[in-house]
Amino acid sequence: MEITQILFWFLSVLAVFGALMMVTSKNPVYSVLWLIVVFFAISGHYILLNAQFLAIVNIIVYAGAIMVLFLFVIMLMNLNAETEPQKNKWLKIAGVVAGCSLMLVFVAALRQSDELLKAPVSMGGETGLIKTLGKTLFTDYVLPFEISSVLFLSAMVGAVVIGKKGD
Amino acid sequence: MSIFFLLLQQELLLTAIIFVLLFVKLSTKQWNSQTVLSFVNILLVVNLAAGFFFKEKGTLFGDMFQTNDLLRFEKNILNLGTLLISLQAYNWLLKHKHAIEFYLLMLSTLLGMFFMLSSSNLLMFYVGLELASIPLAALANFDLDKKRSSEAAMKYIMSSAFASGLLLFGISLIYGMVGSVNFTDIAVAASENPLFLFGFILLIAGFGFKISAVPFHLWTADVYEGAPVAVTSYLSVISKGSMLFVMTSVLSTVFANLLFQWYNIVAVLAVLSMIVGNLFAIRQQNIKRFLAFSSISQVGFILIGMSGANIESHSSVVYFVLVYLFSNLAAFAVINVISEASGKENIDDYKGLYKTNPALTWVLAIALFSLAGIPPTAGFFGKFFLLLGGASKGNYLLIIVAALNMVISLYYYLRIIKAMFMDANETPVEKLAISWSPKISMAVCMAGIVVTGIISGAYEYIYSLLK
Amino acid sequence: MPITYYIFLAVALFSIGVAGVLTRRNAIIIFMCVELMLNAVNLLLVAFSKMHAQNAIAIDPAAVAGVEAQLFVFFIMVVAAAEVSVGLAIIVMMYRNIHSVDVNFLNRLKH
Repeated sequence: MEITQILFWFLSVLAVFGALMMVTSKNPVYSVLWLIVVFFAISGHYILLNAQFLAIVNIIVYAGAIMVLFLFVIMLMNLNAETEPQKNKWLKIAGVVAGCSLMLVFVAALRQSDELLKAPVSMGGETGLIKTLGKTLFTDYVLPFEISSVLFLSAMVGAVVIGKKGD
Repeated sequence: MSIFFLLLQQELLLTAIIFVLLFVKLSTKQWNSQTVLSFVNILLVVNLAAGFFFKEKGTLFGDMFQTNDLLRFEKNILNLGTLLISLQAYNWLLKHKHAIEFYLLMLSTLLGMFFMLSSSNLLMFYVGLELASIPLAALANFDLDKKRSSEAAMKYIMSSAFASGLLLFGISLIYGMVGSVNFTDIAVAASENPLFLFGFILLIAGFGFKISAVPFHLWTADVYEGAPVAVTSYLSVISKGSMLFVMTSVLSTVFANLLFQWYNIVAVLAVLSMIVGNLFAIRQQNIKRFLAFSSISQVGFILIGMSGANIESHSSVVYFVLVYLFSNLAAFAVINVISEASGKENIDDYKGLYKTNPALTWVLAIALFSLAGIPPTAGFFGKFFLLLGGASKGNYLLIIVAALNMVISLYYYLRIIKAMFMDANETPVEKLAISWSPKISMAVCMAGIVVTGIISGAYEYIYSLLK
Repeated sequence: MPITYYIFLAVALFSIGVAGVLTRRNAIIIFMCVELMLNAVNLLLVAFSKMHAQNAIAIDPAAVAGVEAQLFVFFIMVVAAAEVSVGLAIIVMMYRNIHSVDVNFLNRLKH
């Protein structure tokens, strides 16, 4: 096995294990920590795929900002394992069955697919470099970029209006 | 350079209004809320009027953005609806501390819808869609001290986040099979490859959540009930209408190769939406929940029109959304006035309304007649064209189911009309003085219902835009 | 690595996310499951982007393909950040009102 293959399997197992632990943890704080593990594993995958820019952004935005926000809210509310009401057992089973059947349907679709799927994934290339992405982002993709600024503005307004303590 | 401004005119004007309002909010001077609201309404009138003056069409940023006569017309419809809702919300906003923020959020969702309508690739579509739904969740929470309202916002953002997850998974599969997110490239490469089909179905599920078609409707009733009336009407008319516009054009142009597949999916969604919407609407006691389920069944009818996949059916969808906008907003205008004055939202409270408020009763009755599709209101012609569009495929079973559902829907719409006109009530809603702004809004809606119904020009105009 | 491995990994993560949304009742955990779903999508998009890049390189060694998918991932992250900020504000608001973050989507459907 090559080193990239070993890394691929290691990161994949880590990601799936982290995701399972995240969903099954009773304590929300553990869930957040496991999700951060998943994000680091996925960032590792990005680095393997030479998508350097996204690897960094993933760590800064997801693991850094978003998950800290989650952790902050959980600690603010002082939630722990006892406070979460448990769902009806049958609903839980139904949820798991739904997730599994989604996966099964997908695997069935995948098995029927053509040769395209045997295609290899390039581990090098210039696609994921900041230079390439930045050039496209600020030329062809400048309109969605500007729209996302309006999105942030309105998200901020919304969060402030809702979050402000009654006055 | 000037073509840039002309093509983006509607979006730029809306952005300018958003920023003007932002500066009004941030200025040190405390504005009188009456002044602010009148100012905003004037801006919205200008925004609506300006949309009719420009006719340029074309694309910008290398196919990122496109506009044409039909899209301009659809945006004008949405502008009109927003103006009407703003007029209806006048009295509510007068007492609300965050009136400007309400407009900031509402107009940014409208901007998102505009970009979504004008998108010509999946990235723009996605960004526009999210801009159209994230601030809406904050809007649903605008009755800040009511439990119901924050519950509604929560349910809305949860289901919209889940739906956009499904949508994105579909998009990523489509990208994987096609190698591009451009609509033209996807249209060429669309095939019956199982992975592509799977992605396509997930995409339809994402659409289904937004238009609240059964079985993706579970959030609708609770959100409509909990949100403030103005936001409910915005959700049920503007948000849903814009999504229906996009869905119709995307299905019939981008996925034209997969017509057989999506015809079946859309037909099943249509039948389920009509039946479930109707059956649940019969049992409702709260009038907002009632309208939520009635709007689900209306979506079922629209999906039948959509399934025709030709120019006639496309124009019938646009026409019906226009009619639906007038009818539903007229109904919501009355509900808004009554809920604002007395806090009553149950159907039983509407008993004996005719004795105390005959004018309001007539407005609501005509709106409900139009929703039920009784001639000569516009709703009849709207449904007629929808069914005609759907019938072009020759699937008469679908049309028969739709006709049966029209009869069922007649029952529950008439139930409210009977309650208002005939039933006695010991504590009816007292006589209400209606201020000028809801009056204007109701008058426009009534005029719309009559004019778009009697004058056939409306449908023909839309048809000519599509040619 | 063949693309199939990445597809399986992404589908596994996505399905775990979906199952989590359906089985948990804590609103914050549900939100985290949605984030997991989005990350699965991101991983899939990047893998597909590199697959198309490989296909393009096979034809022309200097070609750069698949940029739009990586930018798409960038925008998904941007949107997710905005969504989370509003969503958490709503959750805090709800917690303040009813002292619980329990989501019971089906509780009032009997009506």
